[in-house]
Amino acid sequence: MPKTYPEMQLDALRELANIGSGTAATALSSMLGRPVDISVPAALALPIADVVEATGTPDAVVTAVVLPLIGDLDAIALLLFAPEDAATLCGLLGVDPDSEVGLSALAEIGNILGSAYIGALSTMTALALEPKPPETATDMLGAIVASVLAIGAQETDIALLLDSELTVEGAECSLSFMLAPGSDGVDEILSRLGLAG
Amino acid sequence: MTETAETMVRMGELAVSKTPGHVLASIGLGSCIGLVLVDHARPRAGLAHIVLPSSVNGADAGAGKFADRAVPALLERMAALGAMRSSLHAVLVGGAQMFSLGSDSSLDIGRRNEHAAREALTAAGLAVRAAATGGSNGRTVRVYVDSGLVTVKEPGAPEVEIFSKPGANGRAR
Repeated sequence: MPKTYPEMQLDALRELANIGSGTAATALSSMLGRPVDISVPAALALPIADVVEATGTPDAVVTAVVLPLIGDLDAIALLLFAPEDAATLCGLLGVDPDSEVGLSALAEIGNILGSAYIGALSTMTALALEPKPPETATDMLGAIVASVLAIGAQETDIALLLDSELTVEGAECSLSFMLAPGSDGVDEILSRLGLAG
Repeated sequence: MTETAETMVRMGELAVSKTPGHVLASIGLGSCIGLVLVDHARPRAGLAHIVLPSSVNGADAGAGKFADRAVPALLERMAALGAMRSSLHAVLVGGAQMFSLGSDSSLDIGRRNEHAAREALTAAGLAVRAAATGGSNGRTVRVYVDSGLVTVKEPGAPEVEIFSKPGANGRAR
């Protein structure tokens, strides 16, 4: 049976993403010493065939930081930067974007934002979660998003993705923060919120 | 490349075509596998965008999602289009490991996908004529229905031909 999520559950997940990305934005802001804005997050529950295009242009090259989350549930946090935004962020941190140091700076941003986001998520749901070390890759958006979603695709054809956009004010620089819980993970989050289906 | 009608074969989908000038494409294969079948005697081509190796616990899946089901499903669609099984060539693209995600090798979905696709093809009596698999880069695959040409493009690199149908003079390996 294909899995669907009623609007009330998606609203709750969107609110979780909102609080999580708000906490992440605060962390990024204190790291950069600049205000950081967040968009209203999207809670995408789409057939896997549709989900890649919902996140952007499949063949656009992006830099990704992947942060696997373990603990009471399995999920993957994914930060995506357009190349020019990755360069701007590295510039704000005073490192060369085309170097190992640049990539590890982005990984560290991923680590800090991811930890802030899931810290907020843990507090709200009383789920114990911790991040594993981040990994980076620069590749086609489609290849990155599909490879992350494949991990949770065994038992469902519906992919769930919480997608937030963070924008650094005055620097023309933004990044996407996505959380892809496995299907068991979504059920666990919803049941902690008293919204199990 | 000239302007042509392109059909996008997205995660878990499969498509076949005998339309002259038509192109089948999967953009951004990471751990996924693009399984290509072309008929060397007539313009028939098929492409499945495989996501995972096997369909255990995945009853409601799209026809192309699992390697073990995608191979028979694609063969059936090709046969319905008039392709001859004995003249089919298989090509595999993708199966990269984009992220290691720790040391758990069960998470190397790319490698497992390739293995499962090769197994299913062998079981169906089909040989893999060309492959661009493994590594850590994403790939885009395009199949040109007229010519049976299969190309691969990695980010920042040009489109490269990895398979063309054997000409009148001989057989491709």
